[in-house]
Amino acid sequence: MAQSRIMVIDDEKIVGDMAKMSLEQEGYAVETFLSAEPALKRLEEERFDVVVTDYKMKGIDGMEVLRTVRSRHPGTQVIMITAFANLDAAIEALRRDVHDFFPKPVKIKELKASIKRALEK
Amino acid sequence: MKIEKKLILSNIINGAFIILIGFFAFQNLNLVLTKLRFVQIADDLNASFLEMRILDKNYFLYRDKNALPAIQEKIGNAMNTIQGVQEDIIRAIGKTDLRKLETLLNQYSDIVLEAQAGSPTDTQLEARLRSAGKALREYSASITHLERQRVNSIILESKRILILSFWVILVAALFLGHFISQKIVRSLREIEKLARSISAGNFNRIDGFRSRDELGSVITAINSMSEELSNREEQIIQSKKLASLGILTAGVAHEITNPLNNISMIAQTYEEMYDHLPDRQRRELIGKVDAETERIRKIVKNLLDFSKPKDANPKEADINTVVQKTLTLVQNMIDVQNIETVVRLEEGLPRLFIDEHQVQQVLVNLVTNAVQAMSAGGKLFISSRAGKGGNSVEITVKDTGKGIQPEFLPHIFDPFFSTKGEGGTGLGLSVSYGIIKNHRGDIRVESKPGVGTTFTVELPISKNHKDL
Repeated sequence: MAQSRIMVIDDEKIVGDMAKMSLEQEGYAVETFLSAEPALKRLEEERFDVVVTDYKMKGIDGMEVLRTVRSRHPGTQVIMITAFANLDAAIEALRRDVHDFFPKPVKIKELKASIKRALEK
Repeated sequence: MKIEKKLILSNIINGAFIILIGFFAFQNLNLVLTKLRFVQIADDLNASFLEMRILDKNYFLYRDKNALPAIQEKIGNAMNTIQGVQEDIIRAIGKTDLRKLETLLNQYSDIVLEAQAGSPTDTQLEARLRSAGKALREYSASITHLERQRVNSIILESKRILILSFWVILVAALFLGHFISQKIVRSLREIEKLARSISAGNFNRIDGFRSRDELGSVITAINSMSEELSNREEQIIQSKKLASLGILTAGVAHEITNPLNNISMIAQTYEEMYDHLPDRQRRELIGKVDAETERIRKIVKNLLDFSKPKDANPKEADINTVVQKTLTLVQNMIDVQNIETVVRLEEGLPRLFIDEHQVQQVLVNLVTNAVQAMSAGGKLFISSRAGKGGNSVEITVKDTGKGIQPEFLPHIFDPFFSTKGEGGTGLGLSVSYGIIKNHRGDIRVESKPGVGTTFTVELPISKNHKDL
């Protein structure tokens, strides 16, 4: 079975770093981005199984990432994490077919479990 | 002295003067009347004396036997008239003239009696009688003439005095009116100036205006009101600050979430991968935890600094630092509204002598307003630059929000004026205005409905604000 590819987008560098360390431990190939623009560009080049994205970011935000991924890369699942845990954002994300929605601080074990479920889809 | 008392006193003086003039005119009129009555009597006597002289002439010329008794009758009548002159007339013209007339009449009468005993051909007697008659008539004519002259001069004098009094009263009234209105107008202007400056948020006193009249009391009352307002303003500043704190807290809570999440993720990874981590990476991760903790500590400190009530404490400060500290407080509020922030801070600006926290409060108010005006998202421009003329520094907070209706613009700095409905206290901008005015600065607004609003805060580069 081919190695699953995970993309993490968050303007907080530590989020990407820690997720990378932890997820690589599980055998995933992980790429991290500090903003959405280069990440979306990268998605055009390479297929990723799961995109973990922050909601609130400068420039293109997580909701926009979700929208783009759902329309251009339907096989890729999106998990959204946010420091602004508000209901409206969560509902909108669900409507746009988000795989999962995590408020910060994120429990890495739950994130891993969620990624695992996403890969089984 | 109170203005009311001054007015009453001046009215009393004017009134007394008018009564005095009236009394004087009345006295003169009475005197004239009395004198005229005397002139009438003197005229009658005069005519009677003339008749006597015609009769005595007839006696000597035509030997008219009836002439002398007729003269005697007329003398009797004239004597009665003279003695019957009333007391008030005697008082008015003096006794001397009447006594002299009486004496002359008696002399004439004596010669008439002699003539009755003598002959109409006695030329010596004729000459004496003619001479006495002439003296009598001339004297009575002279009295009449003199009294007429006196009456004339009394009337002329009265006229002069009345005209003079008219001018005196007119000038006094004009002067008094002018003086009082000047005093009232001047004080009202002072009061107006003070009221304007109070409504502009400057709680100054009117000094050097010491009068114990009503205006003095009004000014004392306004001064104490001004002081009271000044005290209240501090309370309002504090309560407004607590209100903005409510808005800020939500944003700050979000802002803390990010470093908190970082710490949490580091801790989870650290625990999970402990056995696989080389020492160097362990130390690195712990260092990151420390840095993230520091991030939280700064956010909390900022919030605490902002919330603490403080007396105005002006210090030298770099305005760009103040702007940046403010941004850390409001950044999350801005972010959640999908607003893009453009910050342009000019470097090398002169340091300002300001109360950092008060200015920060103004900026928080302005940014909060801008964010609330852009509920559908937009751009927020925050910039600093040297002011025109080089004596000040300008900070602008510009939004692309819904703008302010032109008819509201003149009122937006008024206390309790709000366009936000239930959401606004109407104090944010008035408190900001007061703070900037206390810094001898200026705060201006430009706005176009549908385009956006720009607030410009201008702070002077002078040191030593005595009244900060």
